Formats: sequence, structure tokens, C-alpha cells
Amino acid sequence: MEIAGNILIAAGIIFMLFGIIGIMRFKNFYARILISSKIDTVGAVTIIIGIAVKHGFSFFTLKLIMLLVLMMILNPLVTHITARAAFQSGYKHEDNT
Amino acid sequence: MYLLWIMVIFLLPYFYRLLRGPSIWDRFLGLNLISTKIIIISICYASINNSAFILDFAIVYTLLTFICIIFTALFLQDRMKKGGN
Repeated sequence: MEIAGNILIAAGIIFMLFGIIGIMRFKNFYARILISSKIDTVGAVTIIIGIAVKHGFSFFTLKLIMLLVLMMILNPLVTHITARAAFQSGYKHEDNT
Repeated sequence: MYLLWIMVIFLLPYFYRLLRGPSIWDRFLGLNLISTKIIIISICYASINNSAFILDFAIVYTLLTFICIIFTALFLQDRMKKGGN
């Protein structure tokens, strides 16, 4: 069980590395928020699943599952509200790239 | 142990986006991302020390941060629609 957990944690770290490179390299706000809304959620969920697999089935894992459900629901919601507020208050899409 | 070091190093590039974002909406993005990273760092610390009561802090911090960002973004949208910068 420990080897599977370690492989999942390593995959989650690689996803987060892609997210960091993506945010630093894009020149537009809407491109950056699109990248972060997907990769950030996927990386966090994979790391939490990896830690839960590593610890077996106990009380610790039940709290981690609740944190996983909260993270899966709330992170895309907040990203959507930020992008919608930026669009409806008149922030134009500049043609930089 | 190495997991904690790697997570702290992944936290630092987001401060650049927080300070140098050309608009205020970029700073909202940086705030959201930094909060997510802090939650994962606290989960890794709870996993290393094998203590289950640090996860209660992580759950409460998740809810509070997301509610704060939702209401601040709605307030800013109303304020900028009426006119201003």
C-alpha cells in the first residue's frame, strides 16, 4: 500500500509543477485563470488521495475524504465567480498573445 | 520530510503573481492559489506527525477562505459597475 501511495503523490507533484509553469508563462488574465482552475484542483485531489492510500483505513482517512469532497466542490466554484466578476465589470480581453 | 520542503518551494512563485499582477483580478487568483497550497502543506504536516486534530484546522480554513473570496469578488463587481476604477 505504501508504494501505490508514493506513486500517486509523485504524480500529484508533477501536475502541480505544470501548473506553476503555466501560470508564469501566459500573458493574459483569462488564460491564466483557465489553466489554474483545472490543474490546481487535479493536483490537490491527487495528492490527497495519495496520502489517504498511504495511511490505510482509519479515522484519519475519513477526515481526508471529507476534505477531498470539499476541495472538489469549492475550488471550481470560486474560480468561476472570479472570472464572472471580472468579465461583468468590464475587464477587456487584450490581444497580447 | 522531503514532501514538506517541495511544497514550500512550490509556494514561492505565486507571490510574484500577487505583487506584480497588472490588475486586481490577478491578485484574487494569487490569493486563491496560495490558500490551496497552505492547506496541502498542513495536510502533509499532519501526515508526518500522525496527529489527526490538525485536519480540523484544514477543514475550517478551507471553508473560511473560499467564502471570503466569493463575497469580496461580488462586492468588487458591484462597486466597479457603478463607475470608478
